[in-house]
Amino acid sequence: MGELTYLQAISDGLRCEMRADPRVLCMGEDVGVFGGAFKVTDGFIEEFGPDRVMDTPLAESGIVGTAVGAAVVGLRPVCEMQFADFISCAFDQLVNVAGKMHYRQGLAVPITVRLPSGGGFSGGPFHSQNPEAWFMHAPGIKVVAPSTAHDAKGLLISAIRDPNPVCFLEHKYLYRRIRGEVPEPGYTTPLSARVAREGEDLVVIAYGAMVHAALEATQDIEGARIEVLDLRSLVPLDEAAILESVARCSKVVVVDEANATCAAGAQVAALIAEHAFEDLDGPVVRVASPDVPIPFSPTLEQAVLPGAERIGEACRELLAY
Amino acid sequence: MNPPEASAQATVDVTMPQMGVSVAEGTVVQWRKRVGEWVQADETICEISTDKIDTEVPAPASGRVLEILVEVEQTVPVGTVLARLATDPGEGKGAPPPEGAAPGEPAPAVTPHPARHYSPVVQRIAAEHGIDLSRVVGTGRDGRVRKQDVLAAVDRPPAVDRPPAIDRPPAIDRPLHSESPYRPETREPGPGQPAAPPPTSNGAARPAVAEPDRPERLSRMRRSIGEHMLRSLRTAAHCTTIVEADFSSIERARRALGLSYLPLVARCTIDALREFPVMNATLEGDTLTRHGDVNLGVAVSLGDEGLIVPVVHRAQELSAEGLGRAIAELGRRARAGELSPDDVRGGTFTITNPGAFGAIAATPIISQPQIAILDLEAVVKRPVVISDESGQDAIAIRPMANLCLSWDHRALDGALAAQFLSAIKRRLEGWDGG
Repeated sequence: MGELTYLQAISDGLRCEMRADPRVLCMGEDVGVFGGAFKVTDGFIEEFGPDRVMDTPLAESGIVGTAVGAAVVGLRPVCEMQFADFISCAFDQLVNVAGKMHYRQGLAVPITVRLPSGGGFSGGPFHSQNPEAWFMHAPGIKVVAPSTAHDAKGLLISAIRDPNPVCFLEHKYLYRRIRGEVPEPGYTTPLSARVAREGEDLVVIAYGAMVHAALEATQDIEGARIEVLDLRSLVPLDEAAILESVARCSKVVVVDEANATCAAGAQVAALIAEHAFEDLDGPVVRVASPDVPIPFSPTLEQAVLPGAERIGEACRELLAY
Repeated sequence: MNPPEASAQATVDVTMPQMGVSVAEGTVVQWRKRVGEWVQADETICEISTDKIDTEVPAPASGRVLEILVEVEQTVPVGTVLARLATDPGEGKGAPPPEGAAPGEPAPAVTPHPARHYSPVVQRIAAEHGIDLSRVVGTGRDGRVRKQDVLAAVDRPPAVDRPPAIDRPPAIDRPLHSESPYRPETREPGPGQPAAPPPTSNGAARPAVAEPDRPERLSRMRRSIGEHMLRSLRTAAHCTTIVEADFSSIERARRALGLSYLPLVARCTIDALREFPVMNATLEGDTLTRHGDVNLGVAVSLGDEGLIVPVVHRAQELSAEGLGRAIAELGRRARAGELSPDDVRGGTFTITNPGAFGAIAATPIISQPQIAILDLEAVVKRPVVISDESGQDAIAIRPMANLCLSWDHRALDGALAAQFLSAIKRRLEGWDGG
């Protein structure tokens, strides 16, 4: 099929699975007739009909709750939150009902919740968040966050085929900015980390849009070869890959676009502190958004979000240590 | 919170000692005791250095080292608290702190500095390869040893199976020539060069096979010498004037008195300095100070370690024999590391004498802020033209030596330098036991 945008790759992955597996259906606000707020499901209702491409009321709790019920009886629903921020309305259905169903009743809940997340487009505090850490904290839910078009399609198919509830963090900033070769047939991407660039002097660990910021920040730091590790999956976290990179590089910068406290990167930093202590040649450095809401003002938003500049600065500081 | 249990426990400060009237600061070279270790009163707790002098700091009291506040390589003013001792009366041997320890005396405030820390990975690699981290040069912030530094140290040593070191440029392998006041260093001969007889102190024969390169940080003394020399070269307008002198009279006197050449040359130089007092001077900025006393610096080689210039104060009061004794004593103390800071200060003129190793000319570097330095080179027998009393010329075999004077063109001109050298030469050649 050739080059697709990150957004087209998500559409393609969903379409592949809906064509391949009649149990797969999608539901959400305006996903049907309108084709989705970001046009991920554009043309789906024509191809698959309204039974498998369901427009829902503005009620996230209802969307996830319906999906859980459908999953328990054998379907594989893919829910779209119009913005990841709105998932808080469905929190109880996801965290308490879906996440604990297998533990309580031995029933699989194979739902996928698509979460258009992230900032960088002046969306303000309700349309720019990165809520992945909430779900990392809740047992029973898998969390993935692709950074490339190839992984967007592969991880979405992996999520749909997974017997557990999976939060699929798709970064809005990457939707139309990132393109890549995407094979036409369906394929799965393992829930493990990927070395985006090999290096040995320092490793930047990131996921989602921050992978691209990290690659940009470290492409020509003088005299140093910097590794960039793309986590891809936050639950399960690819601990082996993280520890291997740290053992090789001994200096680590962990990047989150999310607010710093208890973010995914905090878990990565804790893992390194506990299991890679003897490999470290400097403090584990974190770069993340400060613990404030994402501002509307483009200038303020850029000041809050970690960018290539801040990541590069952190790397140079740590390299010099 | 636990109540402090130190009520029965007194603390005594170990401070940077005053080691001479002109010494304002010192550098900690090594800690002999660690935090938690017991130290007896007057036992050495650490080594320090000031300028060129190394010395040891005795513990002012018996006690346990409570904290170390100044780390190795740090330079602090005299009186700064270096460490604190906890003297515990219950421990028996602990003598009360002597009066001099003066715990009540306020010391200059210093911020506690953590001891040198190594990152976990550096410690692990060092342990695996038996690397002494204190010898690894750090390239990180504030000299911190980074992973790549310890890995470089791992890569460096044995490497027995290296190919012959053809990558070693011969130029680097050659001695620095006899540039005074450096003493030529001992080296194995390069390929094709005949093996020179090893200098006296370092006689062990070494195989002529190529050895791996070993970058090593310069010793503190070498760095200090380097800084002084470079500063002098940048400061003074160096010129070197050379005269040759007939040492026949000195040779006779030397044998009669049982002295080396140096004290006799020193005596003649002092007399010449009295004749040309402008040469016994120091130049600082635009101020030239002529000194009443001749405080004569005499370069003493410390072998591979470097060189030190102790000063014979008021040398004009000493005879040749007295100078011989004073120079010998300073040399002995220099080699034993017993010089006090004041022994190396206040020089007004310096003599260096590398001639013992056979060199015949050199352009020495002036010891700042002095304005000249005299270099005595080897005394060698040469055919010279002499004239007898009736004006008859003849060729004679005479012990000759070059006197090389480096002088500062800011302070004087070449004519004066030549006159001064001639005055020394005249005295040397006319030595009559005075």
